[in-house]
Amino acid sequence: MENLLTGKNIMKIFGEKGEEIKALDNVSVSISKGEFAAVMGASGGGKSTLLFALSGMDDITSGSVKFDGIELSGLNEKQLADIRRTKMGFIFQQPTMLKNLNLLDNIILPVAQNRAGMSAVQVKQKARMLMKKTGIDKLENRDITEVSGGQLQRAGICRALMSSPEILFADEPTGALNSKASEEIMDLLSEINNEGTAFLLVTHDVKVAARASRVLFMKDGIIISEMQLDKFNNHSIGSRADSILIHAQKIGI
Amino acid sequence: MYGKIIRNDIRRSKLITATIIIFIVLASLLTSLASALSIDLIGAIDNFMLQAKTPHYMQMHSGEVNLDRLAEFAAGQKNVEDYQVSEFLNIEGAEIGIGENTLAGSVQDNGLTVQNSGFDFLISLDGGIAIPSDGEIYVPVYYMREGIAHKGDEATICGIPFKVAGFIRDSQMNPAMISSKRFLVSRNDFEKIREFGRLENMIEFRFIDNSVPATNFETAYMDAGIEANGPSSITYALFKIANASTDGIMIAVLVLVSILVIIVTFLCIRFTLLAKIEEDYREIGVMKAIGMRVSDIKKLYLAKYGAIAAASSLLGFFISRILLQPLSDNIRLYMGKSESAFPALMGGLIGSAIIFIVITLYVNKVLSRFRKISAAQAIRFGAPREKSKSSNAFVLSKNQIFSCNTFLGIKDILSRKKLYITMFLVLVVSSFIMVVPQNIYNTILSRNFMTYMGIGSCYMRIDIQQTDDIPEKTSSIAAEMAQDKNISKYTVLTSLLFDMKLDDGTVKRLKVELGDHSLFPIQYSKGRAPESETEIALSKLNMDDLKKNTGDKITLIVDGQEKQFTICGIYSDITNGGRTAKAVFKSQRSDVLWSVIPVEFHDNSLTEIEIEKYRTLYPFAKVSNIDQYIDQSFGSTILAIRKVSYTSIAASVLLTILVTLLFMKMLVTKDRYPIAVLKSLGFTCAEIRKQYVVRSIFVLIFGVAIGTVLANTLGELIGVALISSFGASSFHFEVNPLFAYLFSPVVITACVYTATIFGISDIDLLLVSDHIKE
Repeated sequence: MENLLTGKNIMKIFGEKGEEIKALDNVSVSISKGEFAAVMGASGGGKSTLLFALSGMDDITSGSVKFDGIELSGLNEKQLADIRRTKMGFIFQQPTMLKNLNLLDNIILPVAQNRAGMSAVQVKQKARMLMKKTGIDKLENRDITEVSGGQLQRAGICRALMSSPEILFADEPTGALNSKASEEIMDLLSEINNEGTAFLLVTHDVKVAARASRVLFMKDGIIISEMQLDKFNNHSIGSRADSILIHAQKIGI
Repeated sequence: MYGKIIRNDIRRSKLITATIIIFIVLASLLTSLASALSIDLIGAIDNFMLQAKTPHYMQMHSGEVNLDRLAEFAAGQKNVEDYQVSEFLNIEGAEIGIGENTLAGSVQDNGLTVQNSGFDFLISLDGGIAIPSDGEIYVPVYYMREGIAHKGDEATICGIPFKVAGFIRDSQMNPAMISSKRFLVSRNDFEKIREFGRLENMIEFRFIDNSVPATNFETAYMDAGIEANGPSSITYALFKIANASTDGIMIAVLVLVSILVIIVTFLCIRFTLLAKIEEDYREIGVMKAIGMRVSDIKKLYLAKYGAIAAASSLLGFFISRILLQPLSDNIRLYMGKSESAFPALMGGLIGSAIIFIVITLYVNKVLSRFRKISAAQAIRFGAPREKSKSSNAFVLSKNQIFSCNTFLGIKDILSRKKLYITMFLVLVVSSFIMVVPQNIYNTILSRNFMTYMGIGSCYMRIDIQQTDDIPEKTSSIAAEMAQDKNISKYTVLTSLLFDMKLDDGTVKRLKVELGDHSLFPIQYSKGRAPESETEIALSKLNMDDLKKNTGDKITLIVDGQEKQFTICGIYSDITNGGRTAKAVFKSQRSDVLWSVIPVEFHDNSLTEIEIEKYRTLYPFAKVSNIDQYIDQSFGSTILAIRKVSYTSIAASVLLTILVTLLFMKMLVTKDRYPIAVLKSLGFTCAEIRKQYVVRSIFVLIFGVAIGTVLANTLGELIGVALISSFGASSFHFEVNPLFAYLFSPVVITACVYTATIFGISDIDLLLVSDHIKE
């Protein structure tokens, strides 16, 4: 499959000289169009840093990140923001919403600026369609403090999908949710992936990672192992999760 | 532990702490200065008037004084401790030369006197009673201040040479606003010059008990028929007010500025605290959750602000001690030192201490919000959103008018009104500080101003007073004017003393100016000028004395008959003791107190030539150039107010820049998270910056609009309070529209815009990953 996102020899170093911490140590990774990749690993292993580096949200110390063949480090701030706005979507563990906007306004925010080729009416239609799909269609005028964590996370997913991105970056999207809500959210994300959107997802949860077609294992800023899950396509989520767990234990994570 | 927390906190927010320190230092400095100067001024005046033994009552009279009758009257008054007749030899300004200068252009009534023996002493600059030797002259300190006279200068009075031996403080005539000045010479020299001048007598009294109202004494004086053809009598209280006026205005302006700075200081502290609390909301929630008491949490904040307030107030106090010296120079020059410097020192210290206490109490009050913070809510959502109907109705999905960034900017203001109110109020105050002093300056500078003080707007004014045959002399001048083709209009106004029958049957004297009051109209604070023969307008002071109002009636005895008059207007008057009336009826009486002829010319550039002509033709009359009169009486005040207005512009610019910078810096610090969210959603830094500029401009528009409106309305009231110290109780601002409606808003806009751009520059440096990463 055609590569959508390619990172080569990425180094990300924090701290002053002498006390440097290598958060990413010569990491190379690529995500294909429509692929669902998950990143697992212990806390502080560099998972989130990798996600921020690949999405261009954080600059890297050295190496290269190409999106759709375009080198991100060669882009200016506006070009980078354009890509982020039109071709990428983000879902975080704690839903990042603006407090002074209601739920619907928060969802349409990424396209409010240039509407991604839609009319104002189409924007609202699309937002409502996504809200219906995620089961929060009755909450559009609610304040963000008036809804539950799960509902907020769904709103975050709607927002990420407003511009029909080519790839979704998700950092622990179910980390703050109970198992039922978590499952519902993952069903939704799988459905979106099936419609053609690529995924790069960071998680601690093997059940979440089990939805992916490939799992990357990170430790101390290095991808120490990769696991293809294609061969388990016919297995249940539970048994896929078990396989991941066994692999993880094998490599010492 | 507190020390460490304070140090860390200050290190983290240097700019914000520095701004708060600057404002507290300023507030403490100004309050300390204003209180120390007030105490200094009051002390110096009291000390000075005690030393000089200022008369408690003084009446001018030109001509003979019946000394026996005076002695008999004084003996009959239980409250009179001492009395004297002091001579004042009026000398034409052109006859007085000091060094290279002559007093020819002076509008002051300059005259010679000898040192009194009983009271009303003229004090030398070293604080003693000045005693000139023959050939020596002591010059009023006013001329030293004006740079006209220097110690050791050669002086000539009516051709007789003198040496300036020193300068005198005159407790009656010190201020520029008092239009007479006494020069002190020896008795021998006085006698030599006597024939060259016009002698006036100052009939002066000292009372045993000065708390008894002087009005009773005045009635007794009038009833006894003691000589009194000069301007109205003056009392001790009036001398005191006159002495306080020059520096009093400076102190009043200081107080006004202090109040505004204190308001701004409080706004800044409130804003900083609210922002800090909002920023620390989760931490406060956690502290509460782990069982810390509200009082303990408050202590953390109080310790920081208490330490800042204490250090800044003390610093303000020390700076005020340094500034006190130059600012009290004028007080010291005109009135000498107060008896002890201790009260002023204490006053300053108390002023600074009050600032410290009030700020600490205020911080404590703002911190009481901690009680309202719910631990669970705080930990989960951070600071709650303000409930606002207008904000809820303003929805992005329905927005058709604004661009997304403009919308988000405005939406933020509507959602956090409490926060933006600080910036709004500071901008209101800034516009106010910029416009009000300028308006006061324009008002005093305008020709119209004199009409608020009982003087019709004219170019030349002839006063015929303290001479005999006033009606005849006035007629001859009027006849000459009728022939003068340069004169476009003139009118004769004659003042006479009438008996007025009060409601309780008693009789009081009332000075009434008769003539046509429509030609050189003055401003009436209420009602209008008299038009019919049964109407009368009263000055504000008379109105207050009589407790009457427009539409009420008063009874005067005119040519032996009782006549009723309806009060048709009230006006402010700074002339003739401020107790006057105006009417248009005719009287046959010839005992005129004085006449005044205001004149306007076809070509007012001829004023100087015409003045010279009438001075030569009628040496007995006092011919004044009104512009010069205003310039010399109010020149120093106008200059001081101009300085104040320029200082205010600078203060306003500084205030706007500093507060906007502080505000924007804090806002960006506080908004790190939403900024990171917007960045993650693909908003560029330029777009986010635009949102902040929109917020600034939006608040600016309202702040400046309301500030300008308030400056021209509420500011007028403050202006009235200030200017009423000159005697004008009601007036309207002369607004310079170019300044008030263009220059001031443009300057403030430029300041806000520039400060906003600098204040939000951190947006570019903010990394999404630093604020969103889990």
